[in-house]
Amino acid sequence: MNVDVALFASLTAFQPDGQAGRHARTFSVPAGTRIAEVISMLSLPDQPRVIFVNGRHAPEDQKLCEGDRLAIFPPVAGG
Amino acid sequence: MSESHDLSASRVAILGCGGLGSNVASMLVRAGVGSLTLVDFDRVELGNLNRQLYFRDELGQMKTDALSHTLWRIDPNVALRLETVCICPENLLELVRGADVIVEAVDGAEAKAMIMNECLARLPDVPLVAASGLAGLGSANAVVTRRMAENLYVVGDLTSDVRDGLPLFASRVMIAAAHEAHAVIRVLMGYPEL
Repeated sequence: MNVDVALFASLTAFQPDGQAGRHARTFSVPAGTRIAEVISMLSLPDQPRVIFVNGRHAPEDQKLCEGDRLAIFPPVAGG
Repeated sequence: MSESHDLSASRVAILGCGGLGSNVASMLVRAGVGSLTLVDFDRVELGNLNRQLYFRDELGQMKTDALSHTLWRIDPNVALRLETVCICPENLLELVRGADVIVEAVDGAEAKAMIMNECLARLPDVPLVAASGLAGLGSANAVVTRRMAENLYVVGDLTSDVRDGLPLFASRVMIAAAHEAHAVIRVLMGYPEL
């Protein structure tokens, strides 16, 4: 199945197509893939992050569905 | 869409009273928000005065106490709930209880992620305004407000990180604080879109 993956900030270096930029990319994964497995496939670093699917907060163990829009955002320090 | 500009019945919880939170609080009081919860565990230090709404004669005071006195000088009628505690997943829901909007205004990346994850998972119907990327000398115009998810607004350039050694300037921190305060006001006024 295909899902759209949007990576923000420092995570843009890990885009599935290897090209820089923040816009969402289509990523083919096996049916029933969980968010945590996508994180592993993309070799995202272990850092604080916030995850959304279709604009709603999602836990890392959530299974993805065809056409889901996955967004992963790593907050940075400062305040 | 609201026709009234009266925010006196509105309640906002501000998590962190440093460079972001202290300035957000003053702007919300000036805008007429009636009730604020101020959460911070720390004391006022000399190094805070370059960007935070504190003064030399407040050094050593708890930030929540010092900020409350400044806010009451602006509006003696504003209702303030002061919580001088560390924010953790166990106390977060109680700290933000009753808030119409929650403001994330802490400094650490881990704490920011924890607040966003806990609030969005456990209080998905309460709008959350957060900040990420306000350090350094990058353009003021790179600090923007994004509606990252249905009930999450994120202010900043998303990348400028104090962990990369970037300093915090009052000008850029206050731009981010003003973005946060304005996002809160717009949401409270019934303008959830950017």
